[in-house]
Order: sequence, then C-alpha cells, then structure tokens
Amino acid sequence: MDVKLTINNTPITATPGQTILEVARQNGITIPTLCYHKDLSPVGSCRLCVVEVEKWRGQSAACTTPISEGMVVHTESPAIIQSRRLVLELLLQNYYDAGYAMGDRPQDNEFIHWVEHYRVTAPRQAQPRFAVNSDPNPVVWVDFNKCILCTRCVRACAEVQGRFVWGVAERGHQAQIVAGAGVPMLEARCESCGACVAYCPTGALDNRMSVGLGAADRKVLTTCTYCGVGCQLDLNVKDDVPGGRVFRVTSNPNAPVNGMHLCVKGRYGYDFIHHPDRVLRPRVRRYLLQGLPRPEHDRGEWVEVDWDTALGIAAEKLRQTREQHGPDSIGVLTSAKCLNEENYLMNKFARQVIGTNSIDHCARL
Amino acid sequence: MTNRKIKYRPENKAIAEVASKHGSRPESVLEVLREVQETHGGLTQELIGDVSRALRIPEERAYGIATFYTMLSLRQDPPAKTDRRSIRVCDGPVCWLKGAPLLHQLIESQLGDHWRIERNSCLGLCDRAPAALVGDQQAGPLTAEKIGQIPHGFRGAPTDYSNPLPGELRVMMAQAGKIDPDSLSSAQAHDAYRGLEKCLRSTPEATLAVVEASGLTGRGGAGFPVGRKWRFVAQANNTPKYIICNADESEPLIFKDRVLIDTNPHQILEGMVIAGYATGAHEAFIYIRGEYEHQAQRLENAIHQAEQANYLGENILGSGFSFHIHVHRGAGAYICGEETALIESLEGKRGEPRFRPPYPPTYGYLGKPTLVNNVESYAAVPSILRNGSDWYRSLSSAPTPGTKIYMILGHVCRPGLFEAPFGITLRQAIDQFGGGMLPGSNFHFALTGGAAGTIVPESLLDIPIDYASASKGVALGAGAFLVCDQSVSPVAFLRELLHFFQVESCGKCTPCRLGTFDSLEILQRLAQRQGAPGDLERLHLLSEVMKQASFCGLGQSVATPVQSALTHFAADFKGAIQTPNSSEML
Repeated sequence: MDVKLTINNTPITATPGQTILEVARQNGITIPTLCYHKDLSPVGSCRLCVVEVEKWRGQSAACTTPISEGMVVHTESPAIIQSRRLVLELLLQNYYDAGYAMGDRPQDNEFIHWVEHYRVTAPRQAQPRFAVNSDPNPVVWVDFNKCILCTRCVRACAEVQGRFVWGVAERGHQAQIVAGAGVPMLEARCESCGACVAYCPTGALDNRMSVGLGAADRKVLTTCTYCGVGCQLDLNVKDDVPGGRVFRVTSNPNAPVNGMHLCVKGRYGYDFIHHPDRVLRPRVRRYLLQGLPRPEHDRGEWVEVDWDTALGIAAEKLRQTREQHGPDSIGVLTSAKCLNEENYLMNKFARQVIGTNSIDHCARL
Repeated sequence: MTNRKIKYRPENKAIAEVASKHGSRPESVLEVLREVQETHGGLTQELIGDVSRALRIPEERAYGIATFYTMLSLRQDPPAKTDRRSIRVCDGPVCWLKGAPLLHQLIESQLGDHWRIERNSCLGLCDRAPAALVGDQQAGPLTAEKIGQIPHGFRGAPTDYSNPLPGELRVMMAQAGKIDPDSLSSAQAHDAYRGLEKCLRSTPEATLAVVEASGLTGRGGAGFPVGRKWRFVAQANNTPKYIICNADESEPLIFKDRVLIDTNPHQILEGMVIAGYATGAHEAFIYIRGEYEHQAQRLENAIHQAEQANYLGENILGSGFSFHIHVHRGAGAYICGEETALIESLEGKRGEPRFRPPYPPTYGYLGKPTLVNNVESYAAVPSILRNGSDWYRSLSSAPTPGTKIYMILGHVCRPGLFEAPFGITLRQAIDQFGGGMLPGSNFHFALTGGAAGTIVPESLLDIPIDYASASKGVALGAGAFLVCDQSVSPVAFLRELLHFFQVESCGKCTPCRLGTFDSLEILQRLAQRQGAPGDLERLHLLSEVMKQASFCGLGQSVATPVQSALTHFAADFKGAIQTPNSSEML
C-alpha cells in the first residue's frame, strides 16, 4: 500500500513508514539537517529540518515525522525559513571558531554550509566557553567551542562503535557533551576509533594529527591494508612532494563494507606510508646474489633486486631445505593483512607444494 | 604519548548493596543516586562510576543523570553540610511576589554558616508563599521574624481546606477534612473503593464506556478526553501495559495535586486501579516530584494499607484482577511533567522528551502501551464510577463536564484552592473565591493557567474560562490564577517567568535551549529599563519560533505569556527601551 502525499505542490507516492525527510530526499527535495544522519537513530533535536504540514499545529521535524496519506507538506515557506534562520543564528552566536582549522575540511562543515546557504549572520560575536584542545586523546582533537549539541558523536559512539564514551551532561543552556563522568576520553573507555570525528558536522571533534594541515589536493579511495575485513577509506593527499603525501584519512560514506566506520588503525595508522624504513622494492643479501654460503656473523648488506630474482632465490632456498631436511623442516606463517584468497593460496602452497601441515596465521596485528 | 593507564577500580560493595535493594535495574538509577547522595553527603565522579558499574549502565549515562536533576549535585569533595541540612528557598513567581528574594538573603545571612542555602524552582507550595524546603520538609509561609526558628523546627502550617467556600462544588475535594488521609478505614467510611467494587462486578468494556460517556477531560492542562486515551491503551495489542500517574506537578502556581494527595490519597489509587482494569494493565507508577517527599510517603502508606485490604495486589477482592502501584520519586526537573520526558525519567534516563508519534498509548514505558494521566484526572474517576456518567454530566451546564480544581493566588485576600465547575470567570475567581483584592490593591493583570499561561488585562475579567477560552486570551491550563496589583510591573513579572523556563529547559532542542536564554537576557535589560532598540521585535521573534519549532510543550508554550504580555502591556515594554537619542529621533 503506497502513501500519496504532496510536498511543495508536487504529488508524490511513497512507502509507508518513511519519514518526510526520507521521501523528500528520494525526490530531490533538499531539507537542511544537522542532528540527523542516516546511519544514526533520529532525535529531532536541532530543529533545522522543520517543515510545515497543512492543518497541523506548529512546525514538524522532517527527520522524525512519518508520512501519512494525503499529507500536504511545505519545506520552504517564509515561516519555515524564519525558524531555520533563527535556529542557525542562535547556534552561530554560540559557535566560536578560533580559526586554526579554517582551510582543513570546509566541505565537511555542514553547519557553516547551512549558515551560508540561508545567509545568516550572528547578531553578536561568539565568545570562547571552553579550552580549545580540551582532551589529551592522542588522535581525537576536541574543541567544544564549535559544538552545536547535535549529539551525533554520542550516538555514533553508542550505535556505531558500541563504546558509550560520549554523553550529555547538565541541562538547558549549560548542557554539554562529556566523556564518561566528565573525564578524559581514554579514561571513559575510548578506543580512539574516530567515529565521533567522522560524524561531527562542525569540526568540534577533529583528527588531531591533521588539524591545521589544510585541504586535500586529491582524495584516493583505497582499501585498508591492516586486516582482511576490507574497509574502504579516502586517503587525503597533498601533491607538494613528488608522488604525493598522505596527511589525513577520512571515511567514505559509500564504502560497501564499513560505511563511515573505521578502527583506530585504518583511520589514524597511516604514518607508515611515508616512513623512511619502509621497504618499497624486494631486497636480498649480497651473499645470496653472489651464490656464497651464509656468513657466520655479519650477513652483509641488502641489495635491491627485481621480483624475479628475489622470488627465484627464495624458491631455490625452499627447494634446497625441503630436499635436505624434509618438508616438515619448513613452516608457513601467514598474515591477517592478507586477503582470504591469499591465505587460501598459502594453505595450498604449504600442504601441496611444500608438503607440510605446519601452517599458522598471526590472526592479529 | 598522553595515553594514561586505565585505572582499575574494584566493585564498591556498599553501593552494590544499595543497587540490589532497588533491584539492580537500570531504571532505578535515579533512586540509587539519590540514596548514595544521601548516605555519602554528595556525589563525586568516583561514586557515579561505582553506581554505573553496579547497575551495568554506561558511566556517561549516570553522569548525565546526576547533572540533569537539580536535587542531585556533584561535588569534588563530599561536603560537611549534608543534604539534610539544606534550605531550598522557592524561586517561583508567587513566592517572588511575596518577597522571596529578600527572604533568601536574610536566610543566607542568618543561617548560611551551618546550612546549605539554595534557590529552587517553584516548590508547589504557592498557597504557603513565601515557602522553602527545609531538608525534605515543606515550610511556609515564612517571615523574616521566623527565620531564627527554622533550626528549632518551625515549618509553618499547611492551608486548611476542610470547609468549602460558598459557591464551591466539591467532588474530588468532597472528603477533604472529613477523613484521615492516613487511615484506610476512615476513607472507607466515606465511599473509598466503592467505585472500584462496582467496576470489578462489571466488565472492563463497561467501565471504559462509563468513563467515555462522562466526558471527563485530562486535568493536566491539555484537556484531552480521558476515555479516548484509555481506549487507545485498551486497544493496543502489545503487553504488558502500564499505568502512570503524573504527580510531577512542577509548574509554578500549581499545587492542586499536592492537596489532593494530602486530603484523600485513596481516591487517586482507586482511580488508577480502575484505569488498569479498564485498559488491561497490571502495573502502575506514581511519578511524584522529589520535592513532595511528604506526599510520596503518604501515598506509600496508602498503597500499603490498600494492599493489606486487597484493594491492590493479587486477585483484587476475588475478581481475578491483579494490580500493583509503585511510587517513583523525581529529583527536580519541571520537564518531567511532560509525559514522554516523564517516561524517559522513569526508565532511568535524562528527562528529555521523546518525539511523537509514536504516542505513549502505543509506545510508552519500556516501549509498551502506557497510559499517563494527571493526579486530578484519576481523582475524578471513582465518583464517576460510583454515581454514573449522567450524574457527572449533570454537575454543570458548561461545555466541559464535571468540576475542576482552581488555584487563586497573589494579591487577593484569601489565596488558596477551590473546586467548581468549568466556565467561571476571572472576576468570579477573585471576588467569590479569593475574597476580593487585598485592601489598597487594584487589579493590574493576572497570569492564568500556569507559568505557561496567558497574561490577562482587566478587559478580559469576564470571559468564561474553559479549555477553549485560550483563543480569547484567557487560558485555563491547569487552573491557576495569579493576580497582580499595581505594584507589579508586567516586564519584571515576565522576566521571572522566563527565568523559570530558562532554568528548567532540558536543552535538547535548539529553539528552547538558546531561545529561553536569549529571551531572559532581553527581559533582564528591559526590567532595568535598559532595553535596546529592536529588543521587543527580537523577543517576539524568539517566542514565535519557540512556539512553532520547539521540540515539546515547554518551549512551545513560552510564547503564551510572552506574546500576551507584549500585546496587552505594549506601553510598559516600549517604555523599557532606552533611547538616549530620542530627541534626535523625534
């Protein structure tokens, strides 16, 4: 049974149980939101998505109001625009931005986007109410001067990561986001996954290591190398050095496996990419190239070679060992960083090629 | 690395014991926190952590609750002055009219060394203004001379409502003064539980039909038909179902529920059992505001007696119907009078309202069908069941059947409470029931309904008051009238009201959280006659957007007093704008 309703004078057919917001978005009608996120349970608290429903008293939050048959909705009436502008204005006059991260991710600041969209200016300058950088968490940057109390961080922590670190304390004008019983995040059992950062619409929560580093020249969608889950993420790259430089990781909402969700390694463990110790091409010891026996103590220097040479040497050594000492003298240890398919091949390699059952998996990182 | 080692804190045995006494249920967190605060002389972060572990809830939730309710407070070090040695001076508009700010200063200077002195939003003691809560004991009226006697036990006396005033029509208050409220046998001698006995002999459907036919409307302020609400719950498929009695009465000017409990608690319990029978619910809660400790104990005593007599409990009077009532104390939050915030609070959460739909009759306490009615609504039920719906409708010729409890306060000779049919006028309330204006006092304006009611000028004194009269500028609300004479400035009065709303806003939605704050700021300027050009327009805009876009009734109804005051007393507000260059402007 479809539901027929009218939005902005356009007749629309929708599925029962949908909200006004869902139906509007499906039909290309923009309704601004702040506290709403499709991944999180709706709360209807910011009141930016209010719309007018004919014959209803007051305005209704589109994100929490289910559609009903014959409903007539207006999303941009003068009264609605007046409410939205005042909501944004009230938030803006309490939104203090010290300016240190201005150029970082302007496109991710949904709040400023709507402030500009509705051409809102604050009647008075916001004053700082909290310390900038108020939590010692090593990867999450906290600046509640930019908090608009949308509670997306609270819900992301509870519903996406299941850690219940963030909560709301006090009430009314004093209400604020806190970790645990008003303690630093890590003491409130934070796993530093950064889900709260990914869902924050203002930058009150940010990625500490990238704060103030500016915007990305390009974003590269890639699969996380840490484990076999296959999360996708966006590497934020600056092209100021040859080959580019990864300086931030952001969630890609279209990632099929993980959506916005990442763990601490995927989101923050990217500094290995440009580490000077990182091995980029195969290397062998010089004595192997020279066909000499293994020296007693100093095994000599590493030499960069091509893949065929390296693999050839490895294969030859394995063959020799198997011949001299039998298949069970060889053990195979695979990695959680490998794909399922790669682990399957290593299993075949150990049992059928080498002929040993000595194969294990690190199963952890 | 700034990473600190996670500290392991062993289970706190004493707190685990308190928790298990309350069933170790997450819903009992408010009671557990209150008891821990009482025994430890205050709450600390560590204690809150211990409570959260004992109840297996996230620490942030326990902390959010501890900082939400005003009767819970967080201290770094447990203070020497424990909660028992506290005086909470009422901050409400009625007590303000009666000189509470000065009284507060005097109490602070005379008793501040040994007592913790605080301000508290309206205590529901408006007929005893200026009032205070000494520990958990209600006190008032207080005078400057009596302050020194407070440590020696002076509490003042509650108002006596035993004798009806001329013109009163008493139904819910009929037994006031005739029965001992703490004795079931005394109540039984005056018809207690006769309505229940009668309805247990008929069917739930017949009971529902009688309530529907009576035309009884919800007495909490909105006037929604009680029978229809009961029908929704009865029709809901989901079980179990719950009955809730809203005794959170925290709106300034309103104290009728307190008097109803104090005069005849069994009448309320009886109404709740009947509601359970009609809707198929077997468990009920009375959510009573924490400031009504005396009344909470009275209800607990009444419940105990009713259980002994099998008017409550298993297999009531052999009918096969079982029903249990629990008393749940709030901890200081006006917002918990909003039915969905009340349910959240009952579930052991911050008292923030839920969005609707779904409505409580389908999705209420713990997601189950739940009936929430006001104390006064339940109190009206037994007499309807005893005497029939025709009798109830014959009580008056007004469009709304039955009687209402009204409160008349302020500059009248006889402030207090009375019961009468609907449709009385403000003039009647003042002259007939309030004993007229005080000598030397002339009517200036009145606030009708409650704090979220209308500000009414003299021209509207003769409008008959009903749920529909709000559109004519006189709201009925929960039935209170606060009358102010020429000495009271409507601007300063409105500031007091906004002060209340700002303190009590839960902070969930943007318009109310920030709008009440901004409105109060403007009104503080105006009350000092230092308003800036544009202030009145901004005040009106703030109220309009709060009315249209706020999440719940609290924010939406702030506009009622603001806009009625701006309309009727425009000159007073305009005069509060400072115009240093007014000569140039001319």
